[in-house]
Amino acid sequence: MTKDITLDPVTFEVLKNSFINSVDQMAEQVLRTCYSFVMYNRDFSSALHDANGECAAQGNQDIAVHVGTLHFTCKSVLDAFKDEMKPGDVYAINCPYLGGTHFSDVRLVRPIFADGKVLAYSQSNGHWADLGGSVPGSFDVMARDMFKEAMRITPVRLWREGEFLWDVANLMANNTRDPGSIIGDIQSQYQATMVCEREILRLVDKYGRDTVETGLAEVQDYVERSVRQRIAALPDGEWTTVDFIDRDPSGGEGLIPIHVKLTIKGDKAYYDFEGSHPVIASIYNSTYSGTFSAVAAGMKTFFPDLPLNSGFYRAFEIKVPEGSIVDAQWPIAVTGFLMPFEKIMNSIYEMWSKILPERAIACAFNLEYLLTGGTDARHGSKNMFMFYDWLPGGWGGRNGKDGCNTTTACFGTGLMAQPVEGQERAAPIRTTHFEIETDSPGPGKWRGGAGVRKTSILLDAENTVISYICDRERAVVWGIEGGLPSSPHGLALSREGEENDEWLGAIFSDVPIKKGDVFSRPTAGGGGFGDPMERDIQAVLDDVIDDYVSVERAAKDYGVVIKAIDPEILQYEVDYEATERERAAIKAARAGWLQEDPEAVAEAYKAGKIDKLDVIRRHAVLLDWETGDVLPKSTAQFRETHQRRTADHWA
Amino acid sequence: MQTTRVSVDVGGTFTDIFVINEATGSIAIEKVASSKDPIDAIIAGVASAGVKLKDVALFSHGTTVATNALITRRLPRTAMVCTKGFRDVIEIRRANKEDLWDTYKDVVKPYVPRRDRLTVPERVDSNGNIVEELDEAAAREVARILKRREVDAIAVCFMNAYTNGANERAMRDILVKMLPDTPVSISSEVLPEIFEHERFSTTVANAALSPIVVDYTSRLGDALAEQGYSRDLLMLHTGGGVMTPQSVRDFAARLAGSGIAAGAIASRHIAMMCGFPNSIGLDMGGTSTDVSLAYGGQSRVTKDWYIEYGYPIRFPAIEVMTIGAGGGSLAWRDEAGSLRNGPDSAGARPGPACYGNGNEQATNTDANVFLGRLGTSLAGGKITLDAELAEAAVTRTVAEPFGLEPHAAADAILKVANANMSDAVRLISVTRGLDPRDFALVAFGGAGSLHGVDVARELSIPVVIVPPNPGVTSALGCLLVDIQHDFGESYIVAVGDADAGALEAAFSRLEAEAHARLKHEGIADEDIVIQRTIDMMYQGQWRSLAVSVPSPVVSIEELVGRFHEEHAAEYNYRRDDAPVSFYRLNLRAVGAVAKAQLPEYEPTGETPAPTTHREVWFEPSASVSTPIYDRATLPAGFKFDGPAVVEQLDSTVLVPPGASAEVDPHLNIIIRV
Repeated sequence: MTKDITLDPVTFEVLKNSFINSVDQMAEQVLRTCYSFVMYNRDFSSALHDANGECAAQGNQDIAVHVGTLHFTCKSVLDAFKDEMKPGDVYAINCPYLGGTHFSDVRLVRPIFADGKVLAYSQSNGHWADLGGSVPGSFDVMARDMFKEAMRITPVRLWREGEFLWDVANLMANNTRDPGSIIGDIQSQYQATMVCEREILRLVDKYGRDTVETGLAEVQDYVERSVRQRIAALPDGEWTTVDFIDRDPSGGEGLIPIHVKLTIKGDKAYYDFEGSHPVIASIYNSTYSGTFSAVAAGMKTFFPDLPLNSGFYRAFEIKVPEGSIVDAQWPIAVTGFLMPFEKIMNSIYEMWSKILPERAIACAFNLEYLLTGGTDARHGSKNMFMFYDWLPGGWGGRNGKDGCNTTTACFGTGLMAQPVEGQERAAPIRTTHFEIETDSPGPGKWRGGAGVRKTSILLDAENTVISYICDRERAVVWGIEGGLPSSPHGLALSREGEENDEWLGAIFSDVPIKKGDVFSRPTAGGGGFGDPMERDIQAVLDDVIDDYVSVERAAKDYGVVIKAIDPEILQYEVDYEATERERAAIKAARAGWLQEDPEAVAEAYKAGKIDKLDVIRRHAVLLDWETGDVLPKSTAQFRETHQRRTADHWA
Repeated sequence: MQTTRVSVDVGGTFTDIFVINEATGSIAIEKVASSKDPIDAIIAGVASAGVKLKDVALFSHGTTVATNALITRRLPRTAMVCTKGFRDVIEIRRANKEDLWDTYKDVVKPYVPRRDRLTVPERVDSNGNIVEELDEAAAREVARILKRREVDAIAVCFMNAYTNGANERAMRDILVKMLPDTPVSISSEVLPEIFEHERFSTTVANAALSPIVVDYTSRLGDALAEQGYSRDLLMLHTGGGVMTPQSVRDFAARLAGSGIAAGAIASRHIAMMCGFPNSIGLDMGGTSTDVSLAYGGQSRVTKDWYIEYGYPIRFPAIEVMTIGAGGGSLAWRDEAGSLRNGPDSAGARPGPACYGNGNEQATNTDANVFLGRLGTSLAGGKITLDAELAEAAVTRTVAEPFGLEPHAAADAILKVANANMSDAVRLISVTRGLDPRDFALVAFGGAGSLHGVDVARELSIPVVIVPPNPGVTSALGCLLVDIQHDFGESYIVAVGDADAGALEAAFSRLEAEAHARLKHEGIADEDIVIQRTIDMMYQGQWRSLAVSVPSPVVSIEELVGRFHEEHAAEYNYRRDDAPVSFYRLNLRAVGAVAKAQLPEYEPTGETPAPTTHREVWFEPSASVSTPIYDRATLPAGFKFDGPAVVEQLDSTVLVPPGASAEVDPHLNIIIRV
């Protein structure tokens, strides 16, 4: 057990709040001065560390995906420079193999000296818009190792005793596609670390070095004690689950499993990833620190009120099989680590939903990231343009509440969606449709939140290519406690003059597109919670009136038969008798639907007798959405988890 | 002679009335319980303050009507007409959440449900070219449907309308023709600025509030007229000015948050009167504290605010930071052993333990009572507090769990509360490069003057000002403002491509608009003051910085120079070699209204006697016999040193040992901490 607080109650509470305040001030500085549009949309974080590099405070609004990694990079800097640090030094690091997440996240670390010795460190982490590598934005889906991905920054000195080492900074900046902005972001993050230093020195002035040092340790003990007390109050036990990445591009068909076993014993939680797949031949691999972060972020969701620091991390342990998809080693490609990250997070949601049912939540939609780049030919001058876009989607249904509509991906709920009007100024792309996708919510007693669809057309542009980083085209967003899956991710391309759309799916790279081509992609809704046959009929009617759910799927997914009387004035009517019959018929038939031969399901789909949502929600079958052919191994894997999460819970 | 000025601030619990007779200099304040229809309390309160409305030269008013309508969703049925394919902008928002970790805490639903968001084919591009004309047949169809649905207000929100509002205006013409009695707000007029969600959200709030505030102002206007008031009713808006009913009709959403601005305005004004252009307002009430800041005599203004998270209202608003620290905030020991204070509050019922209404958990008020800082007989004897219950609560909630002597426990409770307030002040001052040592702290609200000196000492603020009537300061704020309108429009031009002539022309166009609006409100040309600013940024940055612009524009280079200086002042660094861009034009048009002269008093040289002495603990170790003054007896020019306590109807002023105080000619107490 941790030590009790030794500081007097006032000093402790004041220091605790001041530490958090000091990192929030860092965030404010970054937000107001950064250049990277990714950072501006809140993909950054700030931390204060003790003299050992342990995290004493992290920002309240920091993106989830950086949680649990900042102390690793701080320690890596400490290891590299510990004997030669001077006041005024600032160091940079982005190395995922030394505790980082992916190369895009660059951290600046400043030692804070008091009385001639390091008392603390401040760290500012931001997602830079570009770090070199083979594609703009440094997200090369085809990369197999880090040499194609981006520039790797192992701990390096950027300021020496307050003097800017412009030669080092220029070396870094000139290895990216936008050196001017990179220097701007370095300045912005540097100032942020200084803001924190100023605050800490103010506290030293007031309370003395020793008291602040004690405070840095005791705020961690404080959080650790809170988490451990709450875990100790829970019964011991073991929970297991598995979630999947869609595929290994170099392997055959079949979902890529990430297994997690959670053990609660005493006042600690243990996560074991035994059985998870080896690293795959795409960028969807996670290093140890990425995996640790996913566990921390997933678990923090069930302790939302506690401040974040290393004390929280001490309340759990993780074990990863060496060289697995959750323990990628140098030089394996890891830029897409967000994909395993979100699988782990959702697995943790699922397991903790059983432990703390009052905070239960089904699976959320998958992060998606579209990268388009080329030459803008709109205004005579031919400038390079970059259009990077990410969409919100639906979150899982909850115990007693529908899921949230159109919310940022779970890896970073602080991240903001970009305004179309800003994008249209910057790039020769016009959006023609950006609305909620009807029927995207996973059906359930408490349905998932709604996803969206965005459709865009390429205007005057040349040499344009499009890449897409997404997942869950096959490992479709799932429900729990009897709730149904939502819908597959994936992008369709409609070429100018061609009749049929091209299905490009959820992961592809460098596809050339031309003026007039239209690309369209939905995001999934959240998975459903509870049996949709038990959903309140009035709630289904309201969803139909708002067009979150169509009349057709109200009958198919919920067994609720609704007639449109006068849609202009929103008059709809429930046929209660027909609803009773429909619900009875579905309940009688649905176990059988899950046993149906996948080949027969595929035939019906190809013949147009059933649609994509029928294939997934009624039959739990996965098809190649381009050809309509069955994916036998993936289907078997999907059906197994569907049985456990959904069908087994039907009365 | 109409020599009386009246201002009314309607809050959730009380309606405050502030009356000043300029002929005699006499001031009257009145506090009555707010009523279901706020107008009833206003009329009743004005009557009980003895005001004859026919003698009133100016009636100004801050109201929570708009704020409450948004929060409670008691809104008229409002519909949106959107560009085809963009029905859901206000629901998709920026997709972020206020609480990142609590998956059960949701962003509230948008003001217009999906069912009432209709679309029409039309499209404008980012340069203002009409790519697709408004489909008039479809537009008439939409108007027909909205008529059948009997909606009460309509917002027209088209993509890129900030660059060209022609399609929006064409849509409005059709709506007005087919639904002549339904108010229509269009985004290109309400807020011609880039970024669809922020513009649409503002437009929707404006449309939805319009029927409510128009109804409210006209009913109030009628009620006042019936009693003989013959002038314009002036409504306080969030930008820190007032507007007439004519402007309320078109810019209803400017009244959202109206009441919150009043305290900040009063704070700034009082500090200016005392000779402090830099001031921080600390308005501490029962459940929360509002912190505001004025620098160089100007209130800090932001466009980044909302009534409910996720739905920005992008009109400039006086920046006020609200934290959960008030007299009724509860002290508690959390599971891991830390002493916490707030944000939960005992509220007005049951209230602090010493109220004797059943709450047994210690609050800041209990700690103050137990330490003798707050007396047990308040409001002239109307309220009696029970010191024993306060002691019991402090003992049970804090002293026993932490093993502290009870006085030390009470002291600890207050120190944590003061530290929380200091953190809030730091966030709006130090974070922006402002040094608290250059400021005065204006302490008001029911509890502000009990905590003011401690907060000031924590922040090294040298001076605390306690106004004569700390409990009705917001009502005073309503009285001290001019008619003010804010105009803005996107102006996204790299400085290299900019031309001083074109910039001057753009500002002149806004100025013409501003003059027209003020004229419409009956302001004479010579009373109009125009302030220009332009938002600028280093090209590639995402946030801009406002730089003041001379009239006429001198040169682009001069503006760039000002920007570099501002950037260095605000963010500690400048990049002289980096390209700079303009972003937005802002124009503030002020129509000066003759201000009420607050009375001034000559020093009398009298030394008032304390009404009594009481043991007060300023340190937990020992109490001091402290003189207790009745504020009504303190004349201008009276100087006294701490320890002292000054009691008045609506609050208590604490002057700790080491501090010295003086009553100024306006009867403010100025405390050197």
